[in-house]
Amino acid sequence: MDRRSFLTGVTKKIPATGKIQDTRYRNTDSGLTAYSGNWTRNEISHLLKRTMFGAKKSDIDYFLGMSASEAVDELLNAVIPSPSPPLRDYGLISDEDGVLHDDKGVAQGQTWVNDYNTLSDPVVKGSINRLRIESLRKWWAGLIVHQNRSIWEKMVLFWHHHFSVQVEEVDNATMMWKHHNLLRTNALGNVKQLVKEVTIDPAMLIHLNGYLNSKQAPDENYAREMQELFTVGKGPDSAYTENDVITAARVLTGWRIDNTYTAYLDSNSHDTGSKTFSSFYNNTTISGSGQSEVSDLVDMIYSTTEAARFFCRKLYTWFVYYQVDETVETNIIVPLGEMLISNGFDVKPVLSALLKSEHFFDPENQACSIKSPLDMIAGTLREFNVPFPPYTDYINGYPLFYAVYGKASAMQETLLQPPDVSGWQAYYQDPMFYEIWVNSNSLPKRADFTDALVEDNVIDYRAFAGNTSNPADPNQLIDEVTELLLRYPLSGNSKLYIKNRFLINNTGNDATWTNAWNSNNNAVINSSLSALFKFMMNLPEFHLC
Amino acid sequence: MNRRHFIKNTVPAAVSLPALVNGFSFSAYGSSEHALGRMFNGAAANDHVLVLIQLSGGNDGINMVIPLDVYANYYNARTNIAIPQSKVLRLDGTDKSGLHPAMTDLQNMFSAGKLNVVQSVGYENQDFSHFRSTDIWMSGDSTKNRFDRVKTGWLGRYLDNEYPGYPDAYPDSEMPDPLAIQISNIPTLKVQGPVLSMGLSITDPEKLYSFVNPFSDYPLTTTAANKELRYIRVISEKTKIYSDIIRAAYQRANNLAAYPENSLAHQLQIVARLIKGGLKTKVYTVNIGGFDTHKKQVNASDTTTGNHANLMKELSTGISAFQKDLELMGLDDRVMGMTFSEFGRRIKSNASLGTDHGAAAPLLLFGKHVKKGILGNSPEIPADIQVVNNIPFQYDFRSVYATILERWFCVQQPLINTILLNNYQSLPLIKGGPCGLPDDIDDTNNLSEKLVLKMYPNPYSINATLQFSTTGGHTLIQQINTLGQVVRVLTNQAYASGTYNIDIYGDGLPGGVYFIRLQNQSLQKVISVVKTSQQ
Repeated sequence: MDRRSFLTGVTKKIPATGKIQDTRYRNTDSGLTAYSGNWTRNEISHLLKRTMFGAKKSDIDYFLGMSASEAVDELLNAVIPSPSPPLRDYGLISDEDGVLHDDKGVAQGQTWVNDYNTLSDPVVKGSINRLRIESLRKWWAGLIVHQNRSIWEKMVLFWHHHFSVQVEEVDNATMMWKHHNLLRTNALGNVKQLVKEVTIDPAMLIHLNGYLNSKQAPDENYAREMQELFTVGKGPDSAYTENDVITAARVLTGWRIDNTYTAYLDSNSHDTGSKTFSSFYNNTTISGSGQSEVSDLVDMIYSTTEAARFFCRKLYTWFVYYQVDETVETNIIVPLGEMLISNGFDVKPVLSALLKSEHFFDPENQACSIKSPLDMIAGTLREFNVPFPPYTDYINGYPLFYAVYGKASAMQETLLQPPDVSGWQAYYQDPMFYEIWVNSNSLPKRADFTDALVEDNVIDYRAFAGNTSNPADPNQLIDEVTELLLRYPLSGNSKLYIKNRFLINNTGNDATWTNAWNSNNNAVINSSLSALFKFMMNLPEFHLC
Repeated sequence: MNRRHFIKNTVPAAVSLPALVNGFSFSAYGSSEHALGRMFNGAAANDHVLVLIQLSGGNDGINMVIPLDVYANYYNARTNIAIPQSKVLRLDGTDKSGLHPAMTDLQNMFSAGKLNVVQSVGYENQDFSHFRSTDIWMSGDSTKNRFDRVKTGWLGRYLDNEYPGYPDAYPDSEMPDPLAIQISNIPTLKVQGPVLSMGLSITDPEKLYSFVNPFSDYPLTTTAANKELRYIRVISEKTKIYSDIIRAAYQRANNLAAYPENSLAHQLQIVARLIKGGLKTKVYTVNIGGFDTHKKQVNASDTTTGNHANLMKELSTGISAFQKDLELMGLDDRVMGMTFSEFGRRIKSNASLGTDHGAAAPLLLFGKHVKKGILGNSPEIPADIQVVNNIPFQYDFRSVYATILERWFCVQQPLINTILLNNYQSLPLIKGGPCGLPDDIDDTNNLSEKLVLKMYPNPYSINATLQFSTTGGHTLIQQINTLGQVVRVLTNQAYASGTYNIDIYGDGLPGGVYFIRLQNQSLQKVISVVKTSQQ
């Protein structure tokens, strides 16, 4: 007999095995009414850590002089110059026999995005393609660490998560660039238009086999994921049928890619018959020229209210929290969906309403997100003002940007290679969602990263401390550092513990620190602060944003 | 007293647990019942280990287990990717099906009685989405409405009943090790418990950790932030504790067999070392991806090669090396493995040398204690194959789970029903010995053949009579469309042994081919019928 189970089974607190208890849900009925409450460092930090990578002190100071509404307007409307494209950062390429070859299509320091990799020796074309893809990643990571005061980069990453094209499937640098540029250019554009363009974007045609879809043997891959993941989803009010998948596949037959990586319709492979959908889509029939059928199909899908709501749920999960319960559905998703429709599927008005809302600033929605690896890495580097060469500096900058994306990759967020066709699990996998980012495998990697920032002097923690209003006062120093680094506050007792342990060496006397700081006692200051910052970034609170 | 048998016969057929229906917690009931059960039976906690191999992407089951008895239809449905009949690996004692040519190691394991094949495993109303279908397999819950679904995994519920109070109460002296270990970068739903994942994700068993001791107070009163903070604190604490245990176990043991160089083998190598190192961990999960073979599943020049062949080889050589290692370590008595994939693939291939998402597929069980053989028949493959044709399921995947719970983890009723959220009959896949159960149902396939199941007239237009026999007890008959979805439940209740007729009037279904599936305890039979359009 298992005595332990028998004896303890009745006394141990046994949690519900079935449904998640209601107490785990937020107790909030706030809605989309414009927020008019306090506007302090706390609210600004919340807004910035959600819409950018990290909240720099200088950015927080900047927005203190504005209202919430003005701050959101600036994040949404700041003019972002289009970046110049990624550059060839690699030198000669060795083949298997150790013979060196040049990339004959493009010189070092020049962009490769308009070159089709046709001129070089065939034995190194594959290597060239991979090196270009790597340079695209470095370039992107460079843009993230150099981001402007804008939501743009977070939206670029959102769209990448949303459409989730994987480079290992596409395996073509130019197509990946075109795809990325499409998402980047339209990051704050029109969702319906973007779906139309992505549907026949060469990278997507490869990724989900559209280029193989022919009337002789339709390939349903894109037609299925398009509806399930990109447009209407599988929410309770989504009722598209298996036959709608098969029919949409017929609509999309015949799209092919030419030598310049441009999509065109091969009329021989296109099913010209009439395609009739289910009652969920109003029994719509699509026929006629294949060219306009993509547009007809996307229009048909977005004529359902569910498509607008599905998109709003995805935005909500990206920016606010992952529990879309019935209250959130009623107070937020339904009106946002109406707004998306009435604004002709432009994203900006919807984001504006969401980010300016009482709901967004509701204390229930603060400090409850978990930093993605890129939030963790790029955000922390930015918050400590770690200097980087310009994103265009392929000699000095790209190797550093490589480190940024490489570390994020080790923590399971790889640019250009989301884990599967529905993006990162942290934004859809019930019931864990964001919690998936932190587990027994990734947490040590996160700790190694922040430890190394301090130990290898990547961050200037002394300057960070010196940037607070009165660093000689250990209490004020800890208050302000906590406020900048942690979204989840520390109690008075915890702060006292930190002060005693790291700043005043358990002397009980604040002057111990004050004297050290004022006398510029390097040995004491550096050892105290390095231990303190390591500790702070090792706290579970540090992973929340 | 044979309590299990007693309960089995008194549980009403097709139990839908009232506690669940009302939305109440049922684990307290389950736990105390379990403890009570152990007291009655004197069953000691066993040291059995389950290793789950997830084939991500949807494995093309009929190119893994090739149906030789309907080969012509199989070939006709997928001429561009079909495995040539002469290349199919024959299985000892059967002519009905054979294995993919890359699986010689598994062919040998089958001959040695260490491999069992279950045909056409699936579930009703197949969801063709990778994500939803993976969730269904992992949670064991196929409820349509997402607000009504459980958010726990089937193994999470099992472990929660075995070890109540995780995470706070563990490790303790009787369970000093992680309850489940996932060799992966991220945790998955199958070991999700009510509070926390019961599994620990690792990729490097020798990793050293240095975390600070977290604070323990919660200055905020907001539920969401506190939930996430508590989560990270627990992960931090458990990782620290368990990592020392894992590292020590890993370093105590060495692999004794040679493994091939591939990802699955590397993962299984770690698992073998951890078991040998003395961990009491009950469940290990490993994963191989790449099964979503919409295109280039095979090489056009030789369909026995290509991406799927490479995966089949990885699976076969990996499992075989693992089994050999366990035998050399003297651990094969304690370990059983199972493969699963979110769905099979479409019967008809596409023009991209691949296959689209499908329905049911075979799965494999391996280990010393599995029954040798193939359970079930080759799938029905129509001669005039259409793109919509799918393989209907012969066995619900939860019946496989029920078998593992009953015959490997020695869980008793009604707890099995509680864990699986409903009553799923167990199947003759595992010898009775490990849990001290009788080996009473050896002749399942033959007995299944003897069941009467016919419909007349067939084809029918409006009315028809269905005749079936039952050996008594729970008898379920479903009508399934070509997509593998259950469109009607024709009967679902307990019967006395005998032959019965059910009349069907104007069933309102569209014309076409349907399957009628009869399940009577562990026996099952599927026939196809044709409904002509009503005028």
